[in-house]
Amino acid sequence: MHLHTRSISICLAIFIAFTGTALAAGPENEKCMACHGSAEIKSSSIRRVYIDPARFASTTHAIVGCTSCHDRVSSGHPGDSYIPPKATCGECHGPVHDEYAKSVHAPKARCNDCHNPHDARLPASMSGEDINRTCARCHDTRKTIQSHAKWLPQADLHIDSLLCITCHTGSKDYVIIMSIESRLPGSGTEFKTAGYEELAGLTRGEDIRRLIDLNGDNIVSLAELRAFNHQLRGKNMRLWGMMTPEIVTHSYQILNNRWDCSFCHASGPKAMQKSFISFPEKNGGFTRLSVEKGAILDILYGTPDFYMLGTTRSTALNIIGALIVAAGLSFPVAHGFFRFLTRKNRKESNHEA
Amino acid sequence: MKHKEMMYMTPLPVRIWHWLNAFGIVTLCITGIQIRFPDYINIFGAYKAAIRLHNTAGVVVSISYMLWLVYYLIVARSLIKLYVPTVKDLTSGIFRQAYFYFLAYFVGQPNPHHSTPESKFNPMQKAAYLVIMFILLPLVIASGVLLMYVAPLRELLMLLGGIKILVGTHFLLACCFTAFLFVHIYLATLGHTPLAHFKPMWNGWEEETVEDDAPEKTTEITKPEIGISSTEKQG
Ligand code: HEC
Ligand code: HEC
Ligand code: HEC
Ligand code: HEC
Ligand code: HEC
Ligand code: HEC
Ligand code: HEM
Repeated sequence: MHLHTRSISICLAIFIAFTGTALAAGPENEKCMACHGSAEIKSSSIRRVYIDPARFASTTHAIVGCTSCHDRVSSGHPGDSYIPPKATCGECHGPVHDEYAKSVHAPKARCNDCHNPHDARLPASMSGEDINRTCARCHDTRKTIQSHAKWLPQADLHIDSLLCITCHTGSKDYVIIMSIESRLPGSGTEFKTAGYEELAGLTRGEDIRRLIDLNGDNIVSLAELRAFNHQLRGKNMRLWGMMTPEIVTHSYQILNNRWDCSFCHASGPKAMQKSFISFPEKNGGFTRLSVEKGAILDILYGTPDFYMLGTTRSTALNIIGALIVAAGLSFPVAHGFFRFLTRKNRKESNHEA
Repeated sequence: MKHKEMMYMTPLPVRIWHWLNAFGIVTLCITGIQIRFPDYINIFGAYKAAIRLHNTAGVVVSISYMLWLVYYLIVARSLIKLYVPTVKDLTSGIFRQAYFYFLAYFVGQPNPHHSTPESKFNPMQKAAYLVIMFILLPLVIASGVLLMYVAPLRELLMLLGGIKILVGTHFLLACCFTAFLFVHIYLATLGHTPLAHFKPMWNGWEEETVEDDAPEKTTEITKPEIGISSTEKQG
């Protein structure tokens, strides 16, 4: 019951915070951040207690407030030897806790091993690269590619274009998230998700979403996507698509149907209608902008570098291909027909053709 | 009077290449259909099985292409002579041959082209094989190799305009091969008997009926009892 009252009071606090009646956690946080967010702490030997103020402030946990998770900070803090308690995630995230506890991964990692409670974000506010980095803390990417290559063709390509959680948790629906990646000229082949500053430089301070969403209607049309892709040519930038679960679960498992390639590759073009572009924000988060339905399927320019075998095929090309094959087939059929009708001619003249 | 003569038309390496290539390409077409339309077509069971088979067939076709190239270019040195149409072929030969296929054949006139080991192909065959063997096959092999190693070759892919362009090209090329196959196999049955052109592709020898009193213009017809191939003579 303790758990429940806590969640309810938190929800209330958030409700109040969001409606702006009172910024419940604001002043409290600032008191703590005066030290924990300061540059001195950041550069001191106790850097582990440093919390990035901008990043923290942009998370929902900032509304929850330091003291909701660290209640009973002593008045002598930090001079006394009293260590403030730390809430456990399950106290407020009961359902996630229960789901995760049942998964095969529960004995291998705690919530805090994958999440930084001071920089916790919704999956929608993270780039695919960030989400995969969560796993890479323990699962070396190169080794993961090697172990998956035993059964997964082009494992390197898969690990580049999929989140680990796309295969290892049980979401039902998937979306394609595209992020803008860049690399320094002459820096080899590694592309990285472009940061806010970098893109802001390109728009000269304007909302960076305008880089792609030219008319500012908060939806990216195929024409806008095309124009952007065109602009990227030769700029050491690219739009990188990743297949992402629509809803993140914590049911870590090895799903049998992920062995079967057709789970993804035979889902047909209908499964690939939804896509988003993920833009970096100032504080380390990301926002998503919807892309016109079906853009992923466009032959040439929608997403030139994202192709999912068997699924993102283009109907226009299929028709052209079918015409080519039909043209080839029509020759034997027509010629054979006349050949049959005129078979006597060749016997009579006794000339072998 | 007429009698039969045998010509050694197709040397062994060419036959090995041809049937490796033929089975390879047919396998590629069928597996390719499943790979592109897995939601409609499932011939090989698991998707992965189709991919593995497709990749293997692709490697077989690439290697056999090398065999063909090396044989004709270096060993027999008859690639240009056999496959590249002459100016005359292009200005008149092709039209004569087309006239034959589309009209003369039906009224029972003879084929204007007479195959010999030195001039195996009629002008239309030359043109078609030239396009297939020098343009389409190398392109389909190159695009296939790129698609087998997408991540390591990503830079190259981006230079070519991205993976979508590559996949589209590969697919359209595959459609061209399928179309070619229909025409090719059908035309191969237009010999004096339906199987006449298949036999030399199998055992090398083509049987031909010639008039006793009408010696052929081309001289180097190899008699079976002599048993040496014309390509050896050329060497
Ligand atoms: C005057 C500066 C200052 C203020 C204000 C302050 N802290 Fe601290 N805090 C510290 C220092 C310094 C440490 C590191 C102590 C050590 O490990 O020696 C620390 C450590 C901590 C720890 C980590 C204990 C551990 O070792 O795991 C927590 C949790 C904490 N503070 C929470 C808070 C909260 C919540 C507030 C606001 C209510 C707050 N602090 C306000 C300076 C401050
Ligand atoms: C949602 C709950 C939550 C909120 C809100 C929260 N913390 Fe924490 N904090 C934790 C947890 C859980 C840990 C323990 C992390 C671990 O063990 O890795 C922790 C650890 C710490 C530590 C020790 C870091 C370390 O690595 O030893 C400090 C310092 C700290 N918090 C300060 C703060 C301050 C200051 C705020 C407000 C600005 C705050 N926390 C807000 C949950 C929270
Ligand atoms: C005091 C209650 C509380 C504790 C303890 C707590 N959280 Fe949260 N957390 C919330 C609330 C409230 C939200 C926002 C609504 C939601 O997503 O449930 C939230 C949101 C989140 C989010 C999504 C970010 C967002 O913007 O919605 C993550 C990830 C998260 N928490 C992780 C953790 C982890 C990991 C821990 C343990 C270190 C933890 N939380 C502990 C209350 C808490
Ligand atoms: C093995 C790594 C891992 C562990 C362990 C883990 N999470 Fe997560 N969690 C993720 C990933 C990855 C995401 C998606 C990206 C993100 O939001 O951080 C996520 C997302 C979340 C979200 C946001 C979900 C949403 O879409 O609203 C919450 C809340 C959350 N985790 C809480 C927890 C809690 C509580 C625990 C411990 C019981 C926990 N996580 C343990 C990896 C983990
Ligand atoms: C704190 C370290 C840590 C993090 C972070 C972590 N894991 Fe693990 N994980 C482990 C360990 C340890 C094992 C067991 C050893 C192994 O199989 O490699 C494991 C095993 C696994 C397994 C195999 C389970 C089984 O039954 O064999 C999967 C799948 C897995 N992790 C997925 C993930 C994913 C996905 C993420 C990121 C969201 C992630 N892990 C993040 C430590 C971690
Ligand atoms: C295409 C789906 C897919 C993706 C993407 C994927 N996995 Fe897996 N993974 C599997 C399957 C299926 C198995 C079971 C294979 C086996 O047991 O041999 C597995 C096994 C594992 C295992 C346990 C066995 C081993 O190989 O060590 C770990 C750990 C793991 N995955 C981690 C990850 C991480 C980390 C990522 C992201 C970098 C990831 N996986 C991405 C499907 C996937
Ligand atoms: C797409 C795959 C194929 C290609 C690229 C191809 C190409 C060729 C070429 C270049 C020749 C001339 C060979 C020479 O140098 O002597 C040839 C001959 C021949 N091929 Fe194919 N072939 C293919 C598939 C097939 C298939 C599947 C069959 C039959 C099942 C077939 C039957 C024949 C026959 C009978 C000949 C001899 C007749 C002729 O020269 O036209 N081919 N082929």
